[in-house]
Amino acid sequence: MTEGDPADTEMTRPPVEWRNATDADLAAGFADGDDACLEESFQRWGSLIYTIAYRALDSSSEAEDITQQVFVGAWQARANYRESKGSLPGWLVGIARHRIADRQRARGRDLRLVRAVTSDANVQVKQEPLATLIDRLVLADELQRLPDPRGVILRMAFWEGQSYSQIAAELELPLGTVKSHSRRGLRQLRARLEEVTSWST
Amino acid sequence: MVHLNSELLAGQALGQDDALDAEQQDHLAGCPQCRAELDEYLRVVTLSQETEAPAALVPAMDRIWRSIQSEVSTSASAEPEQPVQTLSADSMAPAVGTEDTASTESGGQPIRGRRRKWWAVVAAAAALGLIVGAGGIVIINRNRVEVAASIPLTALPGHTGHGTAELLRARDDPELRVSVEAPLPQDRYREVWLINSDGKRMYSLGVLPATGSGTYPLPGLLGDGLEGFTIVDVSIEPYDGNPQHSRDSQVRGTLPE
Repeated sequence: MTEGDPADTEMTRPPVEWRNATDADLAAGFADGDDACLEESFQRWGSLIYTIAYRALDSSSEAEDITQQVFVGAWQARANYRESKGSLPGWLVGIARHRIADRQRARGRDLRLVRAVTSDANVQVKQEPLATLIDRLVLADELQRLPDPRGVILRMAFWEGQSYSQIAAELELPLGTVKSHSRRGLRQLRARLEEVTSWST
Repeated sequence: MVHLNSELLAGQALGQDDALDAEQQDHLAGCPQCRAELDEYLRVVTLSQETEAPAALVPAMDRIWRSIQSEVSTSASAEPEQPVQTLSADSMAPAVGTEDTASTESGGQPIRGRRRKWWAVVAAAAALGLIVGAGGIVIINRNRVEVAASIPLTALPGHTGHGTAELLRARDDPELRVSVEAPLPQDRYREVWLINSDGKRMYSLGVLPATGSGTYPLPGLLGDGLEGFTIVDVSIEPYDGNPQHSRDSQVRGTLPE
């Protein structure tokens, strides 16, 4: 850990290739104040944070604002990051969650739930809680990060609604391989969801 | 009895027909632990299917990164700001403020040693919360949860069982904690709903885990009151892919407005 003057840390950037760093190593560099880690973190999770804010607030300018606040806020409070409490993306998502909730409350008067409600008792209200929205978008983000063939198999199954035998035929893989990849991929998604959302529950 | 392995449960959630044999199916029907894991996989499958791939956002990302850079570099020489205040809900903020005041006196770097002990306690508490189980996590991880209302849930005609619903006011979103003790057929699950007192509008809070208890964030846009959404309803739902209320309610109660 660097305990020197912050200006020194900025000038002598450690010779680490952050692009290929694990999330945990990146988090450690971030907490230590290496600003290359801030940039790499933004590369990895900036679009997730933006998408969550955009879907929750339905405004691109507010989403940009929130995204900026999350990364600047996390950077300024980086000394408080603790690996034992969760992953770096989990921390960022947790900060975003609170910022978005603040913003939603601020506009609450205009956007009452009631507005989104139809008078038909058979129709569900579509306004979903922020926590559920975040879970969905974290999963969608993770689905795009899963390495192939696992990633492509699950995307075909979930997003294109293809059967395992259709996927096996299209990818020219044995059916058993496709099924086992999808099972392991699902377990990975569940673990990742737990990791990224555990700060906010 | 040996529990089913995660691989089998994931296969079941993915609708792989050959995932479980008859004996394994029997175990699953009687084992809350395996059921709970299966429910989590089912939730991941459902949420994943509901969400499309996010669109590419490259132009906005470049602009946002430039703003972050300029804000970070202008504040680099200044002392660190008070850490994000909205984080207070996860119990870190109270200690942070005082520590940072101290840290500026010793050259801008935070004093790590003193804070560590305090943090070990928090980490231990958090770890404990995870062990206690689904019902316990929320209470332990949040400092200022206040039970604003607690009501009994009673069985509707044709059903047996009972439960409770508690309206929790945390620092951020209000939450509803629901606990039900009632029989559940093997091929059904329970879902928690808020129904408006006008009898016309309802809102699904989500699946009630097989353990019989769950905590649900209420929609952030609900405002300070419940806007008439006062009836807590727990329904029995078939696994039929239909998101609407089955019209088979097991227990119900009414929150004070």
